Amino acid sequence: MVANRKPIPSEADITRLTGHNFPGGFYTVAHWENFLLTECTGAALLPDGLVHPVALFHIPIVGAGTSIAEMFALGQAESDLSIMIESYDWEIFVALREETRYAINSSITSANRCRNEQGDLYDRIQFCFEIHTPDHGLAARVTMTWHYTRNML
Amino acid sequence: MKLAVGDSIPEWEMASVSPERMRTMAAILRDPNPLHWDRDAVDALPLGLGKRTINQGPLGLSYIINMLQAWGGPDCLRRIVMRFPQVVLDGERVVARGEISVLREAQGVWLADCSTRLEHDDRGVLLEGTATIVLPENAVLID
Repeated sequence: MVANRKPIPSEADITRLTGHNFPGGFYTVAHWENFLLTECTGAALLPDGLVHPVALFHIPIVGAGTSIAEMFALGQAESDLSIMIESYDWEIFVALREETRYAINSSITSANRCRNEQGDLYDRIQFCFEIHTPDHGLAARVTMTWHYTRNML
Repeated sequence: MKLAVGDSIPEWEMASVSPERMRTMAAILRDPNPLHWDRDAVDALPLGLGKRTINQGPLGLSYIINMLQAWGGPDCLRRIVMRFPQVVLDGERVVARGEISVLREAQGVWLADCSTRLEHDDRGVLLEGTATIVLPENAVLID
């Protein structure tokens, strides 16, 4: 793991990520996908084509035209193992349904260098995604805050 | 359904967190992080977790959503905010729990703000946060 570790980026490299826009795009949850996702949660499939809210993790990422790997790379993660979750904030205004084409836009809303209580350095990056219905209503807003730890693992 | 601030939400149990489900989830999420599918990668970390994979954060969160939906209905969730103080490991038994913090009306519907958490018998709280759900129409609020 240590052999693959990347050097710590400059603070300026991190703070300039604020305002970064992802390409944006569309995402449709297929029935098979919702079935498998829901099964992973241990719940029964929801009625009437409702998508399990756990999909609010990957729908915005993929639909915005990015990937977990790219989000790791933007913050110059020292390895795939170095990312810690601070929080997820999922707001749902309209329940998501299978086979519906949602439009997604996204940006990095903050990026800062921090130290934890032990004095360890990390970079805190917050991603915000908005998911819109086909008639342009706001269906959901997802805010993900990750810590890019440095030399902690 | 009679509800009052302080009421507990019926708990939801995941009897054993499944490594196979983590692998399926990793494929669907396009998640390259080996912590979710490679026990040796986890064992190599200086965290003393042993040869056990780490559950995806959204999956742990989903157990809390399952508790809320089993109680409030399949489309009850309006907001969930979750922090992740500890990891969830394969093979663990975890239980989602919560209580009603606030009952309020907004835009013509009744909402319950709830404190929620995912607990392990020995390690305590693994996830913690808040959630807001729309109350079912048959809910009766008690002062």
